[in-house]
Amino acid sequence: MDLSQYAELFLAESREHLSACNQLLLEWERRPTAPEPVGGIFRAVHTVKGMAATMGYARVADLAHRMENLLDHLRRGGQAPADDTLQLLFRATDALEKAVDLAVAGREREADTAAVAADLDKATARFTPGETRVEPAFVPEPVLDIGGGGRLIQVTLRAEALIKGGRAMLIIRKAQSLGAVQGISPSPAAFETEDFDGRFVFRLDSTMTPAEIETAVRGVGDVDRVTVGGGPGDEVGEEHVTPAESAGGRSRHIRVDLRRLDTLMDLIGELVTTRGRLNEVAAERKDPAIDDLAIQVSRLSADLQAEIIQARMTPVWQVFDRFPRLVRDVARQLDKQVVFKVEGKEIELDRAILDELGDPLVHLLRNAVDHGIETPAERRKHKKKPEGEIVLSAVRERSSVAISITDDGRGIDRAKVLAKALREGLVDPHTETLSDDQLLRVLARPGFSTAAAVTSVSGRGVGIDVAMTKIRALGGSIEIRTEPGKGTSFILRLPVTLAIVRALIAAVGTERYALPLTYVAETAEFGAIAMTTMEGREAMVLRDRVVPLVHLRSLLSVGGDAPPPRRPVIVLEMGERRTGVVVDGMLGQQEIVVKAFEAPQGTLPVFSGATIMGDGVPALILDAAGLV
Amino acid sequence: MSHSVLVCDDAIFMRTMISDILAQAGFEIVGEAETGSQAVEKYRQLKPDLVTMDIVMPDMGGIDAVREIVKNDPDAKILMCSAMGQQALVVEAIQAGAKDFVVKPFQPSRVLEAVQRVLG
Repeated sequence: MDLSQYAELFLAESREHLSACNQLLLEWERRPTAPEPVGGIFRAVHTVKGMAATMGYARVADLAHRMENLLDHLRRGGQAPADDTLQLLFRATDALEKAVDLAVAGREREADTAAVAADLDKATARFTPGETRVEPAFVPEPVLDIGGGGRLIQVTLRAEALIKGGRAMLIIRKAQSLGAVQGISPSPAAFETEDFDGRFVFRLDSTMTPAEIETAVRGVGDVDRVTVGGGPGDEVGEEHVTPAESAGGRSRHIRVDLRRLDTLMDLIGELVTTRGRLNEVAAERKDPAIDDLAIQVSRLSADLQAEIIQARMTPVWQVFDRFPRLVRDVARQLDKQVVFKVEGKEIELDRAILDELGDPLVHLLRNAVDHGIETPAERRKHKKKPEGEIVLSAVRERSSVAISITDDGRGIDRAKVLAKALREGLVDPHTETLSDDQLLRVLARPGFSTAAAVTSVSGRGVGIDVAMTKIRALGGSIEIRTEPGKGTSFILRLPVTLAIVRALIAAVGTERYALPLTYVAETAEFGAIAMTTMEGREAMVLRDRVVPLVHLRSLLSVGGDAPPPRRPVIVLEMGERRTGVVVDGMLGQQEIVVKAFEAPQGTLPVFSGATIMGDGVPALILDAAGLV
Repeated sequence: MSHSVLVCDDAIFMRTMISDILAQAGFEIVGEAETGSQAVEKYRQLKPDLVTMDIVMPDMGGIDAVREIVKNDPDAKILMCSAMGQQALVVEAIQAGAKDFVVKPFQPSRVLEAVQRVLG
């Protein structure tokens, strides 16, 4: 039995449980007398232990086991935990996380768990005075790889089933009446504990068919899922999976490797391109039969695309959930008091975007604690409450998601930034004040820092430039708002999904360019509206608002015939800012498949990618953030 | 012909309730027992098709009663009546030979489902 196929699943699930551990530890720290957190932590660690043991990761299982021992005493004791106990549990959670990662990478030996294990034992010993017994190393039972005869049966009991252990035991008894049973995991002893979660596996050597076995297992009752696998020599085997009929319309989840979704997305991308070509052919042929088919294909591929995009959507809490711990740790390290709030956890983003978002957010949150929030003494001096507040929030805006990090700290000292920017020649020497935009551009210069001393937390001013580059690469933008004494906000705007976007196709000279609709506010007609200037730039007046203009023709140095006198202006909007992009003509809206694009040296930073049009000719995608 | 049932529980309330649920579904309650040893004795006399057995009873507990009954009649169809939190005891009862279990507070439909499974 090859266990490696379960490694990713193990990793994903363990991380979830450890993330829950961190959350619960934080909650426990806030409400030390609450009984719920410790129970939850115990169950999470217990589950990790069981899974690690099943995988044969002895060190992980052993560390989890020692943690569980301590937690068991704590949960029975029902007292508020001592501060050092909590710190130890935080440490142990970190160590466990590291050990899990190493184990999955095949380097479990490198996991250094001895020190924290010893501390856990010491802390546990405090609960059992007189008994100085050293906990024997927990030896995981080899389960799945027992290799013995029979099919691998995986059973999940219904979540609402009562006394799951009893039901599991009945299933084992039933299986024993069908043939030889071995390799039960977790061991039947685990069925007797409250923490048994209703999932177990065993091997059954029987002459019955998978369908018969499944019927027999289901007959015992309270069964949600049964998987009857092949024999040991036959790893994949004839998987026989059926969802419980009783589940009705309840939504069910499976884990899918993200790379599969990426491939699927690529394929659908190709399909969308082909569909475009089909539509063009249909238009040329004027054959109603082909037209009909083209329409059907269009509809089907649109549905398919919507579904797959939905499948890629992931709620932001999957990334946000580790931040409370981060903020707490940084605040502790810097002797600051911070209340951290998270809003809009359920907002969804494409998994690929979300995965890239972690690092920039870490930078910005560290900055907020380090540079934003003042020390309690300083805050008191300014008549603020001693604990600062940082809010991380996600909000859905039209077709983008805005993620903001807002602190109520000291704000950014514009004068200081300006002075430094002038000294370093980063701004025009006549500049008297910095607008929010200019401020951000200065702060985002690699290596720019006004921090008097470089701290270990925020480093040397890196952060904003790193965050900015990442966000821009994802087709997003960053905005800053800051007010002295009141605080600072960073607002990140991101497209909801990366791979396929609706875009306006504009013509300039003989080329076509795509402008993602995410940032298109409206269109107007150049030559038919009032013109003015704004800070020396050409601008138009659109419903009492002055909107600066960019001529794509001159920006891209396109020659050729003079453009028509009246031509479209596409108004891009990013946050509060708007820019009108003047093009030669508009060719309508289309779905485009975004391909990563390696800009040749010297290219203007206004392209975010490329796409293939319906006729097979490539077109460049304009980056709204680079134009606005 | 309706199935005969022996109801074992030290609480009259519980015995009444189980009897009502089963009687309404057409079963014939042929006897009741308040202790484990009574259960063993009555099983020998009545040879019922089904036994409902409380886990915690004075004198002899439900699990020991299951062992005794199954020792003499390996095919005895015993349904354990348990409460939340009796995970370990339920597992033990099943290892002793109980065929299924229901969890208090009882829902008639769950009880009847379990009975059907036991009588197969």
